[in-house]
Amino acid sequence: MNSLLEVQGISVTFDGFRAINNLSFQIGLPELRAVIGPNGAGKTTFMDIVTGKTRPDSGTVRWGEMGHSLLSMSEAQIAQAGIGRKFQRPTVFEDQSVRENLRVALKKPRGPLAAIMDRVTDEDRARIAAIAAEIGLSDHLEMQAGILSHGQKQWLEIGMLLAQDPRLLLVDEPAAGMTSEERAHTTALLKRLAESHAVVVVEHDMEFVRRLDCRVTVLHEGSVLAEGTLDHVMADQRVIEVYLGR
Amino acid sequence: MSVFSRNRSVPIFIGLLTVFALGVTILSEAYGTGALSVSFTKVLGMTLCLCLAALAMDLVWGYCGILSLGHFAFFGLGGYVIGMWLMTARTDAVVRANLAQAPIPPTEAEISDATALQIFSVVGAEDWPWMWAASDSLFLTLLLIVAVPGLLALVFGWLAFRSRVTGVYLSILTQAMTLALSLYLFQNDTGLRGNNGLSGLQNIPGAGDIGQDRISIWFFWASAVALGLSYVGAAWLVSGKFGSIIRGIRDDEQRVRFLGYRVEVYKLFVFTLTGILCGIAGALYYPQAGIINPDEIAPIASIYLAVWVAIGGRGRLYGAVIGAAVVSLLSTYFTGGRAPDIDLGAFTIEWVDWWPVLLGLGFVMVTLFAPKGLGGLVDYVVRKAPKEDRT
Repeated sequence: MNSLLEVQGISVTFDGFRAINNLSFQIGLPELRAVIGPNGAGKTTFMDIVTGKTRPDSGTVRWGEMGHSLLSMSEAQIAQAGIGRKFQRPTVFEDQSVRENLRVALKKPRGPLAAIMDRVTDEDRARIAAIAAEIGLSDHLEMQAGILSHGQKQWLEIGMLLAQDPRLLLVDEPAAGMTSEERAHTTALLKRLAESHAVVVVEHDMEFVRRLDCRVTVLHEGSVLAEGTLDHVMADQRVIEVYLGR
Repeated sequence: MSVFSRNRSVPIFIGLLTVFALGVTILSEAYGTGALSVSFTKVLGMTLCLCLAALAMDLVWGYCGILSLGHFAFFGLGGYVIGMWLMTARTDAVVRANLAQAPIPPTEAEISDATALQIFSVVGAEDWPWMWAASDSLFLTLLLIVAVPGLLALVFGWLAFRSRVTGVYLSILTQAMTLALSLYLFQNDTGLRGNNGLSGLQNIPGAGDIGQDRISIWFFWASAVALGLSYVGAAWLVSGKFGSIIRGIRDDEQRVRFLGYRVEVYKLFVFTLTGILCGIAGALYYPQAGIINPDEIAPIASIYLAVWVAIGGRGRLYGAVIGAAVVSLLSTYFTGGRAPDIDLGAFTIEWVDWWPVLLGLGFVMVTLFAPKGLGGLVDYVVRKAPKEDRT
């Protein structure tokens, strides 16, 4: 298994607070990985670094078969290279319809002129319809995203992630605010995606992580505390201390 | 898929604009009954130019979320560029006419020197400043009307957006830009006649025999066509994917970035495009106003532009046009001496002084009671009608 993303020894400090401390992480293609850890463990900062929002003070982040460094790339370039991100708080364009949200996310040339001349092809239409069916919003395509329920917004953002067709998906708390039925659907979707993509899921909910049934990385105070199956890491004495000592 | 089907306001807007332009023509002195004076025709034509500037402001602020407090600088620059050509050509013609009686026919160089002296003696200069180099060519002037505001917007925008300056900081920067430009133009030695500005711009070269009554209608129509075309273009731009992206930037810039779009490139595109639109609007406005001076570019003008759009309703193109038309016409009414002063015994309400108060109150009222602006009132009419049909 080749590694798609290879993070090596990164550290980042905010005003003296060491949010990430010599963290190393890799994920291959295809793979499903859950990242867990108490609040402040550095999960979101880790995603910020991979997606280019935050620059680490030291360390390397390498991407793809050619091992390009992501540290010199902008957020937009990283996204175009094939890394998609879903935020913890669902962020969709509330002022626009579900269809417009998906259309903006659709994998097509990203320049302004391309956007001005863009026409919705039959292929685009089919793709949007397929994604809408997948996320259960087929009947809401013309609805304003702002009036969707919290769970539906979560779904829409997952749909936008799918529309981008990334190779690596960083998914922050996908199941928050979902009913148990929706959670089951999310689990199935993530597992299916992981057959052909690299998927990193950040999650608090242990039950959800158990259902994902994948390799788990435990973060604590900005570094990796343990890695392995869920049962393996939960048996680790240090992990137990971190979770109980919270 | 035409723009008419993508944006329902387009056919209505173009229809109303056409009816309005035809109506003004029918009532004009030159081509109709003469019910409208030449000066009022000019006011209406100038109002259309202000509507065009407001349309640009709505694109950059209402749609893309960049609260620029400097777009009137681009408007003024367009005016200065066309003003240089108008003034040169006009003065050149006057000088030629004066020298025609001279016993020895003057050389071209002498005419040029005399023209320069005529224009610049007011600021104690007699040579052509470098920036007037293109003022004898209509073609270059038309090019510069687009290029000068466009380049300033491009360079300023590139510096600002590349450094990710946003929100109130960007507004302050744009305000500083327009203030700096205005102060620069106030200098007598900058080559643009300092606070005298450029004048006599209503005299169109080669149209000496044609009266202002006809010229006013021509410029009125030119302004109407420019506004109409820009409206269609803007509606087309914002109704497609490009519109989705810039509205996305307005609402959540970071999200757009993580979708792989280079936000700064989009902002720069909109900022520059709207700067150019303002330049064109200014180039049509000042030949009707007849005079331009650095005061026109003062920061307050750009703030008014934002106020018009806010009152009209941002994020909807017709809102900007309504806001600019209503507020600037009211402003002309109250500050132009047309409104009768109200005598309250102890003191008199003189509207010239009280108009800013009225405008301020109006702005507060709209913000409180109609946050979507005057244009938002259209929703009540449009959205209610289909419901009644269904029952």
